[in-house]
Amino acid sequence: MSWETIIGLETHVQLRTKSKMFCGCSTAFGAPPNTQVCPVCLGLPGALPMANGAAIGLAVRGALALGCTVHPKSIFARKNYFYPDLPKGYQISQFDQPLATNGTLSFLSSERGIVNATIVRLHIEEDAGKSIHDRFAKATAVDLNRSGVPLIEIVGGPDLRSPAEARAYLLTLKQQLEYIGISDCDMEKGSLRVDANVSVRRAGEMALNTRTEVKNINSFAFVEKALSVERDRQIALVESGGTVTQQTMLYDSKENSVRPQRSKEESHDYRYFPEPDLPPLVLTPEFVAEQQSELPELPGAKRDRFVASYGLSREHAAVVAATRAVADYFETVAKTSAEPQHAANWVMTEALADAKDHNDELRVSPAALSQIIGLVKGGTLSHQAGKRVFAEVAAKGGDPRSVAESLGVIQVADTNVVAGWVTDVLGAHPTEVARYKKGEVKLLPFFVGKVMRLSNGKADPKLAQRVLEEKLAP
Amino acid sequence: MSDAKAVADRLVKAKRLNALLTPPKDLRKSLNTQIAAARPTGVLYGMPVAVKDNICTLEFTTTCGSRILEGYRSPYEATAVAKLKAAGALIAGKTNCDEFAMGSSTEHSAYGRVLHPLDKTRVPGGSSGGSAALVAAGAVPAALGSETGGSVRQPAAFCGVVGIKPTYGRVSRYGLVAFGSSLDQIGVFGRSVHDAARVLSVISGRDPRDATCEDRDPLRLPTVPESLQGFVIGLPKEYFPPELDPAVRRACDRAIRIMKELGAAVREVSLPHTPYAVPTYYVIAPAEASSNLARYDGVRYGPRFSGAADLRSLYRSTRGQGFGPEVRRRILVGTYVLSAGYYDAYYRRAQQMRALIAQDFRNVFDRGVDLLFTPTVPSPAFKAGEKLADPIAMYMSDIFTVTANLAGLPAMSLPIGRAKGLPLGGQLIGQAFLEDEMIEAAYALERVVPATDEA
Amino acid sequence: MSVSRDEVLRIAQLAELDVDEETLPTLAEQMSRILDYAAQLSAVPANGAVRVFVPGPDAIRFRADQVTPSGLAFGPDEFAPAFKEGFFVVPKLGQFE
Repeated sequence: MSWETIIGLETHVQLRTKSKMFCGCSTAFGAPPNTQVCPVCLGLPGALPMANGAAIGLAVRGALALGCTVHPKSIFARKNYFYPDLPKGYQISQFDQPLATNGTLSFLSSERGIVNATIVRLHIEEDAGKSIHDRFAKATAVDLNRSGVPLIEIVGGPDLRSPAEARAYLLTLKQQLEYIGISDCDMEKGSLRVDANVSVRRAGEMALNTRTEVKNINSFAFVEKALSVERDRQIALVESGGTVTQQTMLYDSKENSVRPQRSKEESHDYRYFPEPDLPPLVLTPEFVAEQQSELPELPGAKRDRFVASYGLSREHAAVVAATRAVADYFETVAKTSAEPQHAANWVMTEALADAKDHNDELRVSPAALSQIIGLVKGGTLSHQAGKRVFAEVAAKGGDPRSVAESLGVIQVADTNVVAGWVTDVLGAHPTEVARYKKGEVKLLPFFVGKVMRLSNGKADPKLAQRVLEEKLAP
Repeated sequence: MSDAKAVADRLVKAKRLNALLTPPKDLRKSLNTQIAAARPTGVLYGMPVAVKDNICTLEFTTTCGSRILEGYRSPYEATAVAKLKAAGALIAGKTNCDEFAMGSSTEHSAYGRVLHPLDKTRVPGGSSGGSAALVAAGAVPAALGSETGGSVRQPAAFCGVVGIKPTYGRVSRYGLVAFGSSLDQIGVFGRSVHDAARVLSVISGRDPRDATCEDRDPLRLPTVPESLQGFVIGLPKEYFPPELDPAVRRACDRAIRIMKELGAAVREVSLPHTPYAVPTYYVIAPAEASSNLARYDGVRYGPRFSGAADLRSLYRSTRGQGFGPEVRRRILVGTYVLSAGYYDAYYRRAQQMRALIAQDFRNVFDRGVDLLFTPTVPSPAFKAGEKLADPIAMYMSDIFTVTANLAGLPAMSLPIGRAKGLPLGGQLIGQAFLEDEMIEAAYALERVVPATDEA
Repeated sequence: MSVSRDEVLRIAQLAELDVDEETLPTLAEQMSRILDYAAQLSAVPANGAVRVFVPGPDAIRFRADQVTPSGLAFGPDEFAPAFKEGFFVVPKLGQFE
C-alpha cells in the first residue's frame, strides 16, 4: 500500500516596521514586559485602531514578490475569540476580501524537481501578545508588547508532497521575503511561524481526505520532523482501520511526537464581520507601483544573472545569492576586483566560513577582499598567505597590504633575490641536480619546495619555478 | 468665569436626580484644580460641561453605568474631552447612563435609575439620561452624551432640552467606549441651541486617532437667521402615523405652522423603508456590541469578580456578574446574529437594509429638500418600570431616531411644547456634514416656537 | 424563529457569559421575540446586488510608521486587577487551552 502525503503550510510573518500595525508603539524585540503598550494595543475601553502605512506597503511588496494579484480594495475584519493575550477579544485580520490572492512560490524539491506551489492568499493582521504558562504557579503571565505587531498570513495550497518539501518550501519562502527586506523571517525569534495542514491518501486517489492542523513547530528542522511524525500517525491510524478526525495536533520537539490539543467544548466560530472601526483598504495604482519599484531583484533572477554575467556555475551562483547581504557583497567584490570567479571562491570559502562564526557578519570589507584577490592574482601573496591576511583583516581590520607586510608574507618577486635562493638550493643539492639533468624532471617540485623553505615561504613559487627551470636547463 | 464652588453646588443641588455619578467631594476637588489650569483664551472658558460616563476622562472614573468597570479610572482621555479642556471648559463630573449606552430610559444603569427632572416617577430617557437631566435641571449649561440609536435626541425630547447628534465622522470616537461602532457618535445637550452648538463645534474636527473621523475642520457655526426663507423642509409621512400621540401631533403641527410663517417651503415626502429601521438597528447594534464588549473579561482592567479557579471561570463569572440583563441580552443576540449559519440571514441583510434606508434619505435630499422635520419620539416621557417587561416595547421608543444613526446623518431635537407639563421634542434631520444648515433652522425655530406651552 | 434553551447556552458559551439556569427560559423567549422581530429583514431580496452601507470615510488614511508616546497617564501596574513582575496575571488555563 503506498501513501501520498498532502501538506499545505500557513505561515505568519512579522513585518519589519518601527511601530505596530494599529498604534504607535514600538515593535522592538526584547523589551521588559508590558512597556511597549498603549490604549489601543491594550484594548482599553474607547481605543481605536489606526493603520500603519509602511506595514501595508511591506505587505503589498510581499504579495508582489510572490506573484499574487494585489486587490485594490480589501477589507479588515474582526476574528472574534477569547484568549488572555488577545486584549480586545478579537483580532483585526482580513477574511473574505483579503489583500492578495493567487500567487506562486517555486521551490526545488529533491523528489520532484521544481514545484510551483500555489499561494492561495496573503492578508494583513495584527499579532497577539504572549502568554507564559510556566512563570507563575497555577497562573498564566501575559505580556502585551507583541500585541498589535504587524503580520502577514500566507496560506499555501495543499501542493506539498512530503515533509522535506515542506521544509524546502519554507526555506524558499523565507529567502524570498528576507530578500525583499520585509521581515527577518527568524523562526527562533518568532518573526516567522508556521502551522501545517496534513492529510494522507492512498496513491492514485483523487479526493482530499480529512486533514489535521499541526502547530507548535519552532524551527525549520522541526518542520520536517513534526510532519513526518504526523504523517506516520495518520497512516498507521488508517491502516489499522481507524479514521483521521479533524483536530489540532501540537508538536512536542523534546519527545518528537504530536498530541491533540485538548479539545474545546465547542469548535471555533470566529463570527467574522467587517471591522467597523476601519474604512476599506484602498490601494491606488501609484501606491502599488511604488511598492513594485521598491522590490529588489529576486533570488531566482539574481542567480540567473550571476550565471550569465559572471560565468558562475548554477551551484556557485546559488551559494553566493543565498541572501541579499551575501549577494550584494559578492557582486561588489566581483566588480571591484574584476575577478568574478575568484570573488565567488573567496566568498564561498573564507568569507562565509568567517561569517558563520561571527553572527553572519561579513567582517572583511568588499574593498579589502578585492585587494587581497588582486594581491594573490598578481603574485604578491601566495593563496595561503592571502588566507592568513584575510583572517587577520577580519579579526583586526587594517589595510591588506600593510597587514601582509607586518605578517611578513609578502612574496618576493624580485628575480635577483629569488635567483640567489635558487643558486643556494642548487648548490646544496648537487645529487638531485644531477638526477634532474639526467631526465628526472619530477624533481622540480622538490627544488621549489626547498626554495620556499629557504625563503621562509616568501619566494613567489611561480617565479622560483621559472628561475629553477632556467638554471637547470641544459 | 465660574467659581468651582458655585458649579459644584449647582450639581449637588440636583443630587436627588441620581444623574451624577461623581461623588461631590471628588467633584469639588477636581473643579478647583481644573479652574486653576483652564485656558483663559479658550472659547468655552469656564463653561462647566458634564460628561456621560461612557466617555473616557482623566478626571473621575469611567464606569459606563456598569459594574464591570466599577471604579475604573481611564489612563487616557477622549479626544472630545481633550478638545473641551483645550477650549477652557470644565469637566463637571460624569453622568449616569444606561449600561454601556444600551437602553432608552437610563433604567438599565447598575447605579440606579435617573429621575426625570419634572416628574420623579418618570424616566428622563436614555441612554444619556443623566446628561439630559442635569442640563434640564439647570445644573450645567451643557453636557456630552452619546448616540447609537437616539440616545441624545430621545432624552433631550423627554427632558425639554436641545440635543444634537452630529454626522457620523464629524466628532472623534477616540475615547468613546464603543457600543455600535458604525452608529456611535458623541452628541451634545444644551439649554439652548447656541450652547449645544458651541460645544459641538469645539469637539468636532479631524483626529489622527480615529480612522472613521473625517478629515475636516471643526464645525463652523452659522449666524442666527432672520427667517426660514429659502429652506425646503420635508415631512416624511412614515413619521406621522395615525396612531401618533395627539399631543405630539399638535406640537408638531404648531411647529410646522411656524416654519411656514417663517418662510420655509414645507412638503410631504416619503422614506419608504422606515418600518424596517428598528429591526435593522437591533441586528447591527447588538452584533457590533457583542464584539466591542468582548474586551471586558477581568484580565487587564476593572474589578475581578469572585476568586476564579481557572481562566474560563474568570471570564464567565466576571462577565456574567459584571454585565446587567439588558447588556447580556444584547450580547447574546449579537453573538447569535453573527454566528455561523446566521450571518447572511441577519447581519448581512441588515447591512443591506441599511443601504436602502440611507438611499431613501439621499433620494429625498436630492430632490431639493434641505432638512426633514419629524417628532423626536412617539410620546412624552413614560413612567419608570412601564417598559421593562418587554424589551421590544423599549426598543420602539427609538422608532423616529434610529434612521439618522443608520444613515449616518446629523439630527437634533429641540423642545416644541408640553403635554400635561411633560416636554415634547421636534426633530430636524440634516444632510451629511451640513449641520450648519440644521442648526441655522433650529436657531430660527427656537426663537419663535413656544417650547413650554401646552400643545 | 424559536431559540431553544440549548442554543442560548451554546451562544452564551461562545460569548463567555454565565447564564443562570432559572433565567434560561425567559432569555430564550426574549431572544426569540427579538430575532422574530428582526426577521422582518427578509423583506430585502437575498441577492448580492444590494450593496451594504457603512458611513464614514471611503478609504483608510495611513498612519506614518513612527514610534509615538503611549499616551498613558499611568501604567498597567495601576489599573490591572492582578499584576506581578511586569505581567498581567490570570488564573491557569484549565480546559481553556
